[in-house]
Amino acid sequence: MNLALDIFTVSAVSAGALFFLAGTVGLLRFPDSLTRLHALTKVDNLGLGLVVLGLLPQTNGLFGALKLVSIWLLVQLSGAIVTQLIAGTVRRRGSNG
Amino acid sequence: MEVSSVMNSSEEQGRPAEPPVTGTGILGSAISRAAGFFAFWLALTDANSGDLAAGLAAAVAATWASLRLMPAEQWNLNPVKLARFTLHFLRQSIVAGTDVALRALDPRLSLRPGYVVYQAQLPPGTKRNAFCAVMSLLPGTLPCGSAEGNGLTIHCLDVAAPVVEQLAAEEALFLRTFGGAQRND
Repeated sequence: MNLALDIFTVSAVSAGALFFLAGTVGLLRFPDSLTRLHALTKVDNLGLGLVVLGLLPQTNGLFGALKLVSIWLLVQLSGAIVTQLIAGTVRRRGSNG
Repeated sequence: MEVSSVMNSSEEQGRPAEPPVTGTGILGSAISRAAGFFAFWLALTDANSGDLAAGLAAAVAATWASLRLMPAEQWNLNPVKLARFTLHFLRQSIVAGTDVALRALDPRLSLRPGYVVYQAQLPPGTKRNAFCAVMSLLPGTLPCGSAEGNGLTIHCLDVAAPVVEQLAAEEALFLRTFGGAQRND
């Protein structure tokens, strides 16, 4: 049982790390600020979700799990809001950097 | 949906029937928001009994601030619909992340970025902001400010995709879940 949970943790966290890697590749390869924002928010949200999901079986009970899920929710919330603020600023300034 | 989860628990008592937000509605919101903040405190401190007094004070302060910054509103939530929306949102998050990851790793870098204007049904306000936050985590769309009329300017990774149709479907689901705009039709 423990082995199964450990395998689950390793697979989910590795999958999450792969998404973070893909997001970073997108950040470097995508042509402008707005497309880079897509890469950061969407991929990192999924990557962090997988890391949190993988770590859930390793927590010390309910509170540890709640803390992990709270981290994911807070990152999602701030990501969703800050991205729009940056995107709005980029659009108004018409910069392409 | 995660964006509004703080409010979900808080607005459940604010059932319809009465006009917009009454005094009892505000009191209900205050109590449920305070309960939510205190529960969050318990999670953060492992319910350590030495920290309870500080947690109560923090929950009261946070409730006061939240009512100032985000006045009580009707959300009319139904747990089944909310669960369905959450599942849909999680599935879309996976699609969105995979979509961008594949585009980033594709040697040909298949992007056709551009702007699309979407005419939202939701009037400006908390609900529309919540929908924009959801939209920014959906595949290929990123709201970046308002446009003419009730429009929203959306930046997309692929302008050839049926973005407006997808967003209309998403907004319809959002409206069915969270109760809608005060439209007069």
